[in-house]
Amino acid sequence: MLLVLSEDHKEHLSFLTKADGSVVEEFGRLALEFLRKGTNPKIYEGAARKLCVPVGMVQHGVEGLMFLMTESSKHMISEVDFMDSVLALGFGEELIQSLLQLYVQHKHQIRSILSQLLCNQPAYHNLEWRLDVQLASRSVRHQMVPMVTIRLLLTRSSDVGSTQSCMDLQTDPSSLLHMISTLEAALAAVKTSDARRILRNIK
Amino acid sequence: MELSESVQKGLQLLADQSAVNHSSFQVLLDVSFRGLLSSRADPTVLDQPELKHMDRILLKQSHAALTTFILEAVKHNADKSTISSCFEELTFSTDRIEIFFSTYQKHKKDMEHLLSSMGRRPPHINDVSWRLQYHMKNGQLDKINEPFYLISLNTENEGSSEDINFTCTTEQLQDLVSKLKDAAKSVEKASQM
Repeated sequence: MLLVLSEDHKEHLSFLTKADGSVVEEFGRLALEFLRKGTNPKIYEGAARKLCVPVGMVQHGVEGLMFLMTESSKHMISEVDFMDSVLALGFGEELIQSLLQLYVQHKHQIRSILSQLLCNQPAYHNLEWRLDVQLASRSVRHQMVPMVTIRLLLTRSSDVGSTQSCMDLQTDPSSLLHMISTLEAALAAVKTSDARRILRNIK
Repeated sequence: MELSESVQKGLQLLADQSAVNHSSFQVLLDVSFRGLLSSRADPTVLDQPELKHMDRILLKQSHAALTTFILEAVKHNADKSTISSCFEELTFSTDRIEIFFSTYQKHKKDMEHLLSSMGRRPPHINDVSWRLQYHMKNGQLDKINEPFYLISLNTENEGSSEDINFTCTTEQLQDLVSKLKDAAKSVEKASQM
C-alpha cells in the first residue's frame, strides 16, 4: 500500500529533500521525541537559527516527518512501499535509506504510542487473592465461613496517561470454582477450529 | 447467656400460666418470630385475638423481652441445655420450655441466615460472563489483528448488583485463571486440615 500525502504535506517535506543527511537525521530524531513527549517550540527556533531558515519551515518539516512516520506505522507499510512513497516525495537515495532506518527501528514504538490514544475500557492488570475464614461478626458469633478475598487491579489509558484502579471483591469457594470453569471454557474458545480459521485468514 | 434485667422481667411475665395460657404463649412466639423474619415492619403485629386479654404495657414488655432473647440465642448458637437453664431460672414450666424450643428450632435456620447477612463486606462475585472478540483496526491503528476477551464480573453488594467490565488478552486471561486456581487449591488444602 502506497502512502498518499496531500499537496501541503509534500510542500512541507520538500525543504528536507534538499537538506543533507545529518539534518534529516536530526529532524527525524526530533520528530520521534515529539511523538513521545510532545512538541517544544524553543527547539524549532534553535534549529531555524542554525540552518538559517524561517521557523515555520522547520516546524513544517518536523511535523511532516512526524505525520509520515505515524501514517506508515498505522498501516504497517512494508519497506518496499515505504521506499516507493518516499521516492515519490522527491527524496534522494541516501535520504530514503536513512528515513527507512528510522521507520523500521521505531515502527513498533510508534504503534504503541498511538494505541495509548484510545480511550478504552479498563484492562486487566493483576489479581491478588487471600483465603479468609469468618469466625464472628457483630450479629452472629460462632461462625466458620470460608471466603476468598480478591483484589483486582485494572488500568485504563486515556489522553492524560494511564490510571490504575483497584477493587476489593469477595467470593465463596463454590462461586470461585464456577468462575474457574467458566473462564477455562473462555480460554478454550480461542483454540477451536472456527477461531483458528478466522485468525489465520483475516490479516 | 447474659440477659439484662428488663429482659428477665419481661420473660418472667410469660412464666405465669394463669396470666398467659399455652395458646397465647404460642401465638406470642409465632408473632415474635414473624416480626423478626419479615422484611417489613407491621405495626399491628400484636393485635391478635388471643393476646387481647393481656394488659398492653405488659404485652409489649414481654414481646420485646422475647424478641431480644431469641436474637441472643441465635447469635450465640445456644443449645437446648443453655436455653432450658435460662428459662428454668425464670420459673418456666418444662412444657412451656418445650413449646419455646420447638418453635425456635423451626425458625432457627432462617434466623441464622438473616443475622449472618447483616454487616458490611466487599461486593460478592456471583457470576462471570465473557466474550471473545477479534480486534482488527481502530481509529488510530490499522492491522492490529489480535483476539481479546471482554470479561464481566457480576457482583452484589447489600442487595444492589453491579457489573465490573474489563478487557484482557489471552495471556492475561491465562494468568487470571491460574491465580484463581491457586486460590481454589489453597481452599481445598485448608479444608483437608
